[in-house]
Amino acid sequence: MSQVLHPIEKKIINALKETEKLSTDELEKKTELSSDQIRRGIEWLKLKGLADVSESQETKHHLSSAGSEVLKGGLPERKLVNLLKDGPKTFDEAKQSLSESDFHAAIANAKRNDWITIEKGDSTTKISLKANDPSQSSEEKVLQEINQGNFDQNTLYHDKNQHEKLVGYFRLKKLGLIEEIVNKSKTISLTEKAKDIDTSQMDIAEIDVVAAVPATFVARTHPLKEVINEIREVFTSLGFSEVLGNFTQPSFWNFDALFTPQDHPAREMQDTFYIKDSTADKVATPSQIRQVARSHKLGWRYNWNIEEAKRMVLRTHTTCVTIKYLADQKPDEARIFSLGRVFRNEKVSYKHLAEFNQVEGIVVGKDVTLRDLMGLQQEFYKKMGLPKVKFWPTFFPYTEPSLQSMVYNERLGKWVELFGMGIFRHEVTKPLGITKPVLAWGGGIERIAMLKYGLDDVREFYNNNLGWLRTAIQCL
Amino acid sequence: MPVVTLYLDRLQRLVGKTNREKIISTLPFLGLDIEEQTDEYIRVEYSPNRPDYATDFGIAAGLQGLLGIKKGLAKLDVKRGQYQLKADQSVRKIRPYITAIVAKNGTLDDETIRQLITLQEDLHFGIGRNRKKSSIGIHDLDKIEFPLRYTTTAKEHRFVPLGSETENSISEILQNTEVGLQYGNLLEHAEVVPVILDAKGNTISFPPIINSALTTVSSSTKNLLVEVTATDKNTAEDTLAVVAATLQNAGFLLTSVQISGAGNTTPSLKTKKMSLGVELANKILGLKLPSSVISAALKKCRLDALPKKNKISCTIPRFRFDILGPMDLIEEVALGYGIENLKPTLPQSSAVGQKNIVTKQLDLLGKIMVGLGFTEALNSSLVSKNVQYDMINRDSFGFLQVVESKSQEHTILRDMLLPSMLDTLSRNVHEQFPQKLFEIGTVFSADDPIKEEISLCCISVHKDANYSEIKSILQSALKTGFNIECQTSTSTNFCFTKGKTADVIANNSKVGTIGEIDSAIVENFKIRMPVVAFEIKLSGLIFN
Repeated sequence: MSQVLHPIEKKIINALKETEKLSTDELEKKTELSSDQIRRGIEWLKLKGLADVSESQETKHHLSSAGSEVLKGGLPERKLVNLLKDGPKTFDEAKQSLSESDFHAAIANAKRNDWITIEKGDSTTKISLKANDPSQSSEEKVLQEINQGNFDQNTLYHDKNQHEKLVGYFRLKKLGLIEEIVNKSKTISLTEKAKDIDTSQMDIAEIDVVAAVPATFVARTHPLKEVINEIREVFTSLGFSEVLGNFTQPSFWNFDALFTPQDHPAREMQDTFYIKDSTADKVATPSQIRQVARSHKLGWRYNWNIEEAKRMVLRTHTTCVTIKYLADQKPDEARIFSLGRVFRNEKVSYKHLAEFNQVEGIVVGKDVTLRDLMGLQQEFYKKMGLPKVKFWPTFFPYTEPSLQSMVYNERLGKWVELFGMGIFRHEVTKPLGITKPVLAWGGGIERIAMLKYGLDDVREFYNNNLGWLRTAIQCL
Repeated sequence: MPVVTLYLDRLQRLVGKTNREKIISTLPFLGLDIEEQTDEYIRVEYSPNRPDYATDFGIAAGLQGLLGIKKGLAKLDVKRGQYQLKADQSVRKIRPYITAIVAKNGTLDDETIRQLITLQEDLHFGIGRNRKKSSIGIHDLDKIEFPLRYTTTAKEHRFVPLGSETENSISEILQNTEVGLQYGNLLEHAEVVPVILDAKGNTISFPPIINSALTTVSSSTKNLLVEVTATDKNTAEDTLAVVAATLQNAGFLLTSVQISGAGNTTPSLKTKKMSLGVELANKILGLKLPSSVISAALKKCRLDALPKKNKISCTIPRFRFDILGPMDLIEEVALGYGIENLKPTLPQSSAVGQKNIVTKQLDLLGKIMVGLGFTEALNSSLVSKNVQYDMINRDSFGFLQVVESKSQEHTILRDMLLPSMLDTLSRNVHEQFPQKLFEIGTVFSADDPIKEEISLCCISVHKDANYSEIKSILQSALKTGFNIECQTSTSTNFCFTKGKTADVIANNSKVGTIGEIDSAIVENFKIRMPVVAFEIKLSGLIFN
């Protein structure tokens, strides 16, 4: 297999060919690479199966400064032994020669080592040696070995006969006479495969085509905009033309023209954004105003107020745009759609936005039917990649009959409510001089976009989180 | 939309001969959205135009129709009673209308009481417009001595209100109780307030605020008085009709109350007649149904229907005040016939779809910006004053504000895109650089009344970002897409560093600004690299 190696890798291989095993520090010195380069190089070689890394841990012992002193002067029990060589001593005599703390340790340890006998008399207690020259204790052995550099802790653990010595080692450690230093190191060696590589034979123009590279992000259209554009395409392909309108609208077109009574809860400030101190002087033609006023008086039995209709709102739906178009153009036949931002005074949550996009389709024609409306829905969803659709009755204030469409989502494994639809009420169309039936349907675009991008939080579309904008992928 | 809880055992008992699965699968075809479902109960959302669906009695009646258990109109059977209620002239100025009915010999279990309270609340909220237009009082009839008087009284008037054990004055109720505080504003400027008194002088109700404790309804109550006060006579009767129909469904016998005085009359609660053309129904639905099938469908929706030649004579119960004309009846036909039986078709007419020129131009611009390496961002039109003014060290005046926004982040309409773009950058400082973003969006300014224009903002951040780079992007975008040559002329602007900013000039007029963002502003947004940007108005430049 031809293998392309990075210069770092080549340097490491060459160093290891000279010396079979090297630590990372040694490699750093030998190759004159930085520790970071060595680290990365070793990772690459490991992934390619060219290097073995064994991690080892070495514990080194040495005497502490207290330990060195003890080595010279002897442990307290040895000091006691030396004292007793002249003959037995009383406690008081021994205490005088040894310090108070040393004395207690000396008595306890010498007894444990079975070096001394203690005889209790009437007034004094006498200490005497058992043998004149007691042999080395395990503590003393350990101290000596550490000092000479031939102490091997591992054998202590594994050799049963050395148990005494192990106990002595722990005792010394507790007394702070010995210290240990743990050294962790990586030893790198070449695998058999790597040993055959002749780096000098490699073409220096070759690069490592397998290695990972930094990510490049494509500049792109906003994911939600992609869905909006797709919806525009679908509408156009179904024969619809787009009409545009302002986000800010007089209440007249947003509410009154749609037969929404002026005391309707939807018109309250808690649901609709009113623009402070902003009213429109001229909202519609005198005849449109007259007819709408009459329709409200008859249908809802109250005194319709033009001033209320002049208040500017942020449109709560795109229907204000389509109804104005129909009222002004009075087409006998038309297929239009309106798409864009709409606003609701809602607390923003994973489900709701204060500002979102809506699309609305309108068909005017003398022979259009409710079944046609259903057929258009089905066609629209099919083109959007949502083939399973069903219909349920529902209520909208300005359409009758009204239906809602349910679309099956495979990822969620359930039916999701999407667009609503209906035929404009006569109370809406008649006053505005629209004589032919008007089919209307529409709904929020973010809901469809959420299905397309597999999102559960609608806010993601407006967070402008670059990480997401750069990588979002459509799953539908 | 309002939600009602339906206990399935109870609902099944009310519906009669059917099974649970059938009931659950039929609910959506009454226009009821299932919100939550357990073994015991199901919660459905109903439309505000069908307040009769606020209780399981009304929903059961609807289900009986669609399931074919009981069809046609359930006639409201009201016996003529001797109960008298007289309104004084003084109510005319406050809450002029009153209507009432008596319901006898019923049984009220806890669940029925709960359902009635839900109905009452939903009627208050919907058709009653938060009790402003109409409000309902339901009383224990046996505690009341007739005749009743609907009159007005001073705020010193005292009685024991519902839920209390002690006498309170009207003023105290308005100031100290939850309902008083919530609905007191409906009587704000009135010197006297409406009350209903019985023959003994006992206070029965203080509409639209609270009933008296005297007539509290409990599970041992057998006979009820329902009264509705309103600002509109029709609304009063609409409201009463829904309660009356529900109580009849719940097993009560209805008896009328004779009402007089101050323009009030005894409610008739009569059915409404309406004629539906067979041809119109078929034309709208796209069907060719004979009149008999259409009639049968209407009956399944609990209306009466009698075919007469090419018309159908329909009888509509009083509580179905949502039915205003033939289109409403056609919807009933669709429901009764079965939405699932309507096969989708495509309209016979055809048309050629066209994109709007503005959309086309903006699409093109978007593509060019992406080609130039810029990623599209979308920000809200409604922004916070903090980002739009304070963070970019701009004095705030003359901005367009919305009233009572529920979110601090969305209070004013943006007049430029740049601040939101800087905010976007500040939230992405941890992402890989360079960061190059653009937004095409609507900006607002006060005019007559409001002017809306579409702008393009383009921003680039990286360690080598500079003026030449962004100017080159601007010129390339306009030249490539729209063959517009634009120039830059020295200027100053609060957003940009002095000496590194310019006006953008196209067709001899200023269309925007360009430059390196002022370091203090960059610091405000906690961005640690140079930022260059331009913002231009597209309206009037690439489209008219």
